Amino acid sequence: MASPSQASLLLQKQLKDLCKQPVDGFSAGLVDESNLFKWSVVITGPPDTLYEGGFFNAVMTFPSDYPNSPPAVRFTSEVWHPNVYSDGKVCISTLHPPGDDPNGYELASERWTPVHTVESIVLSIISMLSSPNDESPANVEAAKEWRERRGDFRKKVSRCVRKSQEML
Amino acid sequence: MDSEDDMHDANDAESMDDDYYSGDTAVEYSEDDDDGDDDGDYEFDNDSVDSDDVSTSRRQQKNYIALKEADIRQHQENEITTISTVLSISRVDASILLRHYHWSVSNVHEVWFADEDRVRKAVGLLERPVVRFPNAKELTCGICFESFPLDRISSAACGHPFCNLCWRAYMSTSIDGGPGCLMLRCPDPSCGAAIGQDMINLLVSEEDKEKYARYLLRSYIEDNRKTKWCPAPGCEYAVEFVVGSENYDVSCLCSYGFCWNCTEEAHRPVDCGTVAKWIMKNSAESENMNWILANSKPCPKCKRPIEKNQGCMHMTCTPPCKFEFCWLCLGAWSDHGERTGGFYACNRYEAAKQEGAYDETERRREMAKNSLERYTHYYERWATNQSSRQKALADLHQMQTVNLEKLSDKQSQPESQLKFITEAWLQIVECRRVLKWTYAYGYYLPEPEQAKRQFFEYLQGEAEAGLERLHQCAEKDVQAYLGAEPPPTDFNDFRTKLAGLTSVTRNYFENLVRALENGLSDVDSQGASSKTATAKSVAAFGKGKSGRGKSSRAGGPSKNSDDHGFWTCDQCTYFNTRSLPTCEMCHQPRRNA
Repeated sequence: MASPSQASLLLQKQLKDLCKQPVDGFSAGLVDESNLFKWSVVITGPPDTLYEGGFFNAVMTFPSDYPNSPPAVRFTSEVWHPNVYSDGKVCISTLHPPGDDPNGYELASERWTPVHTVESIVLSIISMLSSPNDESPANVEAAKEWRERRGDFRKKVSRCVRKSQEML
Repeated sequence: MDSEDDMHDANDAESMDDDYYSGDTAVEYSEDDDDGDDDGDYEFDNDSVDSDDVSTSRRQQKNYIALKEADIRQHQENEITTISTVLSISRVDASILLRHYHWSVSNVHEVWFADEDRVRKAVGLLERPVVRFPNAKELTCGICFESFPLDRISSAACGHPFCNLCWRAYMSTSIDGGPGCLMLRCPDPSCGAAIGQDMINLLVSEEDKEKYARYLLRSYIEDNRKTKWCPAPGCEYAVEFVVGSENYDVSCLCSYGFCWNCTEEAHRPVDCGTVAKWIMKNSAESENMNWILANSKPCPKCKRPIEKNQGCMHMTCTPPCKFEFCWLCLGAWSDHGERTGGFYACNRYEAAKQEGAYDETERRREMAKNSLERYTHYYERWATNQSSRQKALADLHQMQTVNLEKLSDKQSQPESQLKFITEAWLQIVECRRVLKWTYAYGYYLPEPEQAKRQFFEYLQGEAEAGLERLHQCAEKDVQAYLGAEPPPTDFNDFRTKLAGLTSVTRNYFENLVRALENGLSDVDSQGASSKTATAKSVAAFGKGKSGRGKSSRAGGPSKNSDDHGFWTCDQCTYFNTRSLPTCEMCHQPRRNA
């Protein structure tokens, strides 16, 4: 059952696994050791993308009925990207709660399902960084720039990357 | 034949109903009765039987079925069975398939036989598992990553293993999320295997099972092109419509009549577009604005609209503004006095008006006022008929629950013999509805088409009068039989009268609806003389009414005999064959036979 205890057991297990076998591209830990529902992750900008070399901090907040509902992910580092709101919130379909699409028109593979883990979520975010979806942008300005003035977009992203390096 | 005669013929044809309704004398028309042309008007008597049959069968040929929950379930089951048999798939799969294709059996057949693989893929009906664990004793749940013995692991057709607890949570989250749960798929993102009701029922709580079943039932009505829920508040029935039929008016088992097309209340003879416009207009703020525009002027200082309903031209705006001004020229009152012509006139205004300074605003105000008055005229009558209808519904209820029993006691008649009273009330309710919508019809009838307008107003007037008569009879006349001691003995006469009125009114309204629906096409709007056109169309309309059954043949007392083979009874207004000395219905002897 999706009781808080199941959620915490599951999160505990994932934390242990990630410590034992870190995954390339990010590192994860708790924001506060006593709270399993708030994770801090550092995502390495994927190689061969505009974000290469950056280290972006993000906080994942899990609901009590995880894994039946998705966590919210928010970058605390500045990230200029079509699918990241200006407040850092990440907008990808995988993180949309199942209730968002009552008619089920989104493809099954695009919606949140309970099989997703911290690892699969972060991997989705990494893939989002390398290929933005400008069809349904969270940051309209960034999407426009990405589409029309790639030079300006690149500049802004480089600035973010540099800032993220300074923060380390 | 000149138009004058046409007019008479027309009135003759019409006068039968006219008389019947209003009961007043129609002597002025009967002088022309010998006119040979009348034969034409009465010819319809010959075919009245046929046309009556036609109209009756049209009435009975329902193009819709009202469905109770059990019926809905039955229909749904039948369609699932059909698909499951024809496609040789399980009932659960058939249900998923139908649900996906909006419960259209023919659609499912079509797509399935065109490309079964594609359909299977789109819907998520897998033929064999994508993953197999042939020799495993324990499997790891893909959600909680715990290992479980096989009996605590379940999977959809795809074979992806998840523990029963995680399944249950997954399913109930989805069921809580709404009808989207009917499209539930395997939690594995790469897998689209559909999850059917059988699996849901194995794993979730009773409450969730019930919710799911309800969504499934609702889906049958809501996702189906042929069915809709009855929009009446609290009604749980649905209506299945034969798509493509012309008449959209349907009547639910709960007795609520609605338009299948727009799901507003039934509105024949008015079309859905007009109804939408009318409803919009009634609710729109625009009418308030119109009123304000027409009846008020803004305070020159604070601009609040002010209605002047009495008194002199010296206006003082309400606090906190308190601006004093002249109503006519809207200038400050301090500028006024003897030299502007005193309190009751304003020379400045008169002078400026002469120069045309106020024309534009005045004209607009005048126009708004006219259009508002016109709208108010129609709206009031629309609303009055609406409330009359509500009242009639309440009266009908009262009649059915209390008075019929009382009447049955008093008159020592079984209640089954009193059905005519209920029928009269049902007819009143229906007529009020039609009449109500004729006012929306009238409001949108183009102003320049004078002939149509005149004809329409004539028909509407007749309808109104006829309905009043029926309503009067059903409401007032019946009191005599309810209250008086000893009860009057002429109850059979009352029966004949009320039944006759009901039938005549029904026919009149049916013809009215038909005439309005075809846009009063009998009226030659191009006609040079609108009077002639109207007269002709009245005649045509009179003929159109031939769909009336013989039993309701009617005429006024003053015209209780004519040269065309019939006489009408004074008492019950029945149309009798000339050879009969007494009325076939009420046995009243023929007057001035």
